[in-house]
Parts: sequence; structure tokens; C-alpha cells
Amino acid sequence: MDESMLCTKTHEYVLEKDSAYDVGITDYAINQLGDIVFVELPEIDSTFSKNEVFATIESVKAASEIYMPISGKVIAVNEDIVNSPELLNDENYADKWLIKIESNADQVEFADLLDYSDYKEEVE
Amino acid sequence: MTKQTFLHDKHVQLGARMVDFAGWDMPVQYKSIIEEHKNVRENVGLFDVSHMGEIFVEGVDALKFLNFLVPQDLTKLSDSKAVYCQLTNKHGGLIDDLIIYKLHDNKYFIIANASRVDEDINWMSLFKTGYNVEIRNESHNYSMVAVQGPKACDLIVHMGIKNLPPFFSIKEETFCGYNVLLSRTGYTGEDGVEIVAKNEYITCIWDKLLSEGKAYGIMPIGLGARDTLRLEASLHLYGNDLDENTTPIEAGLSWSVSKDKKENYNGKDVIMRQLQNGVDKKLFGLKMLDKGIARHGYDVYYNNNKIGTITSGGISPMRGDNIALAYLKNDLGLTIGSNVQVMIRDKFYNAEIVDRPFVKKRNKV
Repeated sequence: MDESMLCTKTHEYVLEKDSAYDVGITDYAINQLGDIVFVELPEIDSTFSKNEVFATIESVKAASEIYMPISGKVIAVNEDIVNSPELLNDENYADKWLIKIESNADQVEFADLLDYSDYKEEVE
Repeated sequence: MTKQTFLHDKHVQLGARMVDFAGWDMPVQYKSIIEEHKNVRENVGLFDVSHMGEIFVEGVDALKFLNFLVPQDLTKLSDSKAVYCQLTNKHGGLIDDLIIYKLHDNKYFIIANASRVDEDINWMSLFKTGYNVEIRNESHNYSMVAVQGPKACDLIVHMGIKNLPPFFSIKEETFCGYNVLLSRTGYTGEDGVEIVAKNEYITCIWDKLLSEGKAYGIMPIGLGARDTLRLEASLHLYGNDLDENTTPIEAGLSWSVSKDKKENYNGKDVIMRQLQNGVDKKLFGLKMLDKGIARHGYDVYYNNNKIGTITSGGISPMRGDNIALAYLKNDLGLTIGSNVQVMIRDKFYNAEIVDRPFVKKRNKV
């Protein structure tokens, strides 16, 4: 995990990259879900506000809704993950982002996000 | 307060993820539900099912008493044989589904669902008046493990049981040096045994099975895989697929109900009428045609009309598709091959009615 990511208490992360943001779920969340068997991602160009559901991830046991850590517009979706959801469980696979977004989020939207180290402390 | 089985420390040592199930702190998975599932289909798996209820019914009227509580004809049950039964209410609905074993004349042993054992005892006690019978809930004294898979019986034979009981039979045996009840039953669709032992013996038996089982590819299996295995085998789960408002006929359990039982039992009039005239709703098997997972509680549609509800659903690791059990209206001419739609997150996903079980059972020996 990239230490500079910011996390939600609902286990999503956002990571600034080349003037856009990667959004995904934390390694802790993946571990808690167990075998991931289905991932549904939004369409490119769709927009979401902070805390809005943008994706669904299903493990063998249950479906989980995934929330936007900050507001933004989808500019890319990880089709590899959609086609092979089990890649999220693969420890040797690195590209686990779900969507890339453009965002004009202000400081208020970032205020309740946790540094990765604080998040780790929170969940462990 | 959640209860712990006598194998709780073993699960924690094995790195299991523990969850609450029917008031018990149980392992849902050790490593991976899918991996555990496949290992039961291909090799052998070991399950802690100590949460399940053990009930003894004894006395000169034991047969007459139990025979009034279930639609099965227990007069036909011989010593050491088991039968899959349902405790029915006055309307034919199910208080629980259980396995009744005849140990010998006047002594019966019952395995009941963890979530229902207290209710079962209360229910049975309601009808006790006038029968010379004793009902003993011994769940707190007994633990149980299941050994399931194509290599399960080889392992048990290797561990000293030369003559395994036949399918749906039980034997008192000495296993790992302890007195146990060894039953040729399970909840996976595979061959195998369930071993009932006094609590103090169970950790030794668990450890021995894991060490001796290594050569057979044994793995501890959590409740997650237990659920996907039983769904593939189309075995009902009480609370999901069965409840007090569902009769055995609606649940597709007609095969288990005696058609010529002379004695009366709770709900007999309803059950016999349904056998004769059919039912308004019935359990169907579905496979998803679109990429989506049907889950408990999702609605099912046909020609834009709601026609029923999914009661169990999920992935089938062996088939590689998604399957479900659903109660659907029975007057629409739905049959194998019919297409219906499952509403998943406000969208329709196509599904097809298929034959059950979803995966061929291999336990009828």
C-alpha cells in the first residue's frame, strides 16, 4: 500500500496521482471480505458526491457498497478487476485501484480522511 | 453472550476468521472459502459443527411420541438407521428440520439446528403429555465434527474404523480411543461421516483427524464453505429456505414425506391436501444467465410481475456460475428452462430455472 493514501473509516482510499486520483479499497478491507467474486464499477464520465455509493464488491458471503472518499468525475475504471475480481485477493498483483477520478474537492471533503498510518491504527 | 465450542482455541490457532452464527462464535473461513469448498469436493474437509443440537428422546412411548411430531413414518425406521425429518406445526409449517436416529427400541437421537434447538425442545415438550417419554437436550455435553469429501471414508477406515455404517446409519464406535457416535451423514452432498463425542474428547479427535488426514489432503473448513457446499447440493438451510410458514411440500421435500402414514401428526391435513392438490408457491433452482449474484431476500420477476423471492443464493465454485433457491408462484407454468428475472440493486438480471441439485451428489452409496 502507498503510505501517502488517505482512507475513510468505511475502508476506501484515495491517492493523488498525476493531477487525478486513484480510488480503491484498503488491503484491510480486501482481507476482511475474503474471496472477491464480483465487482461492479460505474461508467466513465459519471459523477459522484462524497460518501455516495459508486461501486459494489461481492465476496462469497455478501455484497458490500463502496463509497466515494471525495467527490469527483470518473475518468477511468479498472476493467481488469471487473473481468477478474479475484485479482483483488492476489498478493502479487499491485494494480488494485477501482476507478480514477478528477476532483475539485475542497479541504472540507478531505478533513475526515485518515492518514494511512492512522487508519492502520484504527482498524488493528 | 456468544457461546464457544470446545474447538474454539483450535480455530483461532489456525487463523480462522470468527463470526457470530446462531449465538455461537464460529469459524467462517480459515484461508479461502473457495479453496476450502473445492477441497471438500476433491479431497476431504473437517468441520466443527459442535453448535448443532443433540437431543435424546427415550421411553416406552418414544416412537409414538416422535411419530406424532413429523410427517415421516418412524415405525419403518430400524435400529441404527437415520431419517431426514421435519418438525411440523398445525399448519404444516416447519419448526425445524432435523435428522432422527433410532439407536434402538425406545431410544432416539436427534441432531437439530443450532438456531432452533431451544425452540425444538419447547415445541416437543408441548406434546409430551400422556406419553411415557423423556426429552433430554444434551447439546451442552456433546461436540460434533463432520468429515466430508471423496476421501473422507478412506481416512476414517485408515484411522481404525473397519466397518463404516451404511449411508444414513449410525454406529457406536471407539474412535481415537474414545466412545463416539459415528454417523454416515453430512451437509455437503459428498460421502463422509459426522462424529458426535463428549466435549472433553473432541480436541483430541480434531487434532488426530488433521494429522492423520494430511496424507488425504485434509483441510479445516469454515461455515462459509459449508454454506456454498450445501447450496450446490441444494440442501435447505433453516431460517433461509425453511420457516414456520413453509411446508415440506412447498419446500420440495415431498420425497421425504410419508404418503401412506396411518398415524396422525401435526399439520397432516394440510400436507396431505397439498400432496393431492398442489401448492401455491414452490421452491425452484435458478442459475443466473446475466453476471450477477442473487442473494437471500432479492425479489424474482416474470413478465414484470413479482412472483417470488430468493431464499439462498451465491456462487457455485464447481460450476463457475451463480446459483440460487427461490420460492416462486406455482401457477405460471414455470418449468426447467423458463426464464425469470432477479432484481439486484434495482436492475433486472436474467436467470433460468434449472434442475436441482446444482452439482451431482456423491453420497448415495
